[in-house]
Amino acid sequence: MPLPPPDIRILVVDDMSTMRRIIRTILNQLGYTNIEEAENGKQALAKLRSEKFDFVITDWNMPEMDGLQLVKEIRNDPDLKHLPVLMVTAEAKKENVLEALKAGVNNYIVKPFTPEVLKEKMEKIFK
Amino acid sequence: MKEIEEIVKELIENVRELERVIENIKKPVAESSQLLPETAKNIKDVMAYLEDTSHSIMNLLEKVNENSREIGKEVDFLISLNPVPKIKDRLLRIKDLNDKNMATVLELYTHLSFHDLAGQQLKTVMDVLERVKSTLVDVIVSQMTAGRDLKEEQVSGIKGKVSELLSRDRISQEDVDRLFEEFGSQGG
Repeated sequence: MPLPPPDIRILVVDDMSTMRRIIRTILNQLGYTNIEEAENGKQALAKLRSEKFDFVITDWNMPEMDGLQLVKEIRNDPDLKHLPVLMVTAEAKKENVLEALKAGVNNYIVKPFTPEVLKEKMEKIFK
Repeated sequence: MKEIEEIVKELIENVRELERVIENIKKPVAESSQLLPETAKNIKDVMAYLEDTSHSIMNLLEKVNENSREIGKEVDFLISLNPVPKIKDRLLRIKDLNDKNMATVLELYTHLSFHDLAGQQLKTVMDVLERVKSTLVDVIVSQMTAGRDLKEEQVSGIKGKVSELLSRDRISQEDVDRLFEEFGSQGG
């Protein structure tokens, strides 16, 4: 399955600077360099409403606005509702996954994860 | 006269009882109010330390990866010179091992997400501490106000004061004494 084109613009949302750096590095390794970062859902939403992005990778637990709320806001926004969203989170309970799916995430990764898992999920989302 | 004597006796007994309650509360208030903010601060320090260290390790891993990329380029160049098969085989093996090293470095890099996972657990501990603080405030305030005819705003005033004292980095014994004095004047 092919990965999405390398020129897509990706927004990485996580309150932990280390996680943002890890995800950015893996994305770089996969050939993606057009990456922006946000520290929480609120900041992400502001960026998404003012700039164009092709893909969002978000954490769940964040201050101000969590990832779940961000996904709901994205799905309720006519301009953003088709944006692919991947949730990368430590929340590994079945009900969490179901809740995220219900909110409208396109796929879900449980931390810690390998570069292969991120690649595989991206391929699935963009197939 | 006898009636007044009875009232005074009862009053003295009440004051003694109150003193006992205050003495019982004073120590745990002082101890807990010192421990809670200290513990919260220590946890914050651990989180900051984990973050700094994770970034330092990432910086080192990035240097290793950068060197590996350079090695890869050099090896590619040497292979492009079309050396004798024996050397070419060795160069291909070096290239393969170098690629494997880069993959391992990336894997190591992803393991640093332990910082995020540990941080989330520590945040849970901080939330528990907040709840403990809130419960402690309730216990203290209910002990202070038990059996006293206080207005709602007086109770919430005491609650605010206790909470404020517990939120400080450190609370002195004077603060505790002042609080109890204030409670005395508010409680009448």
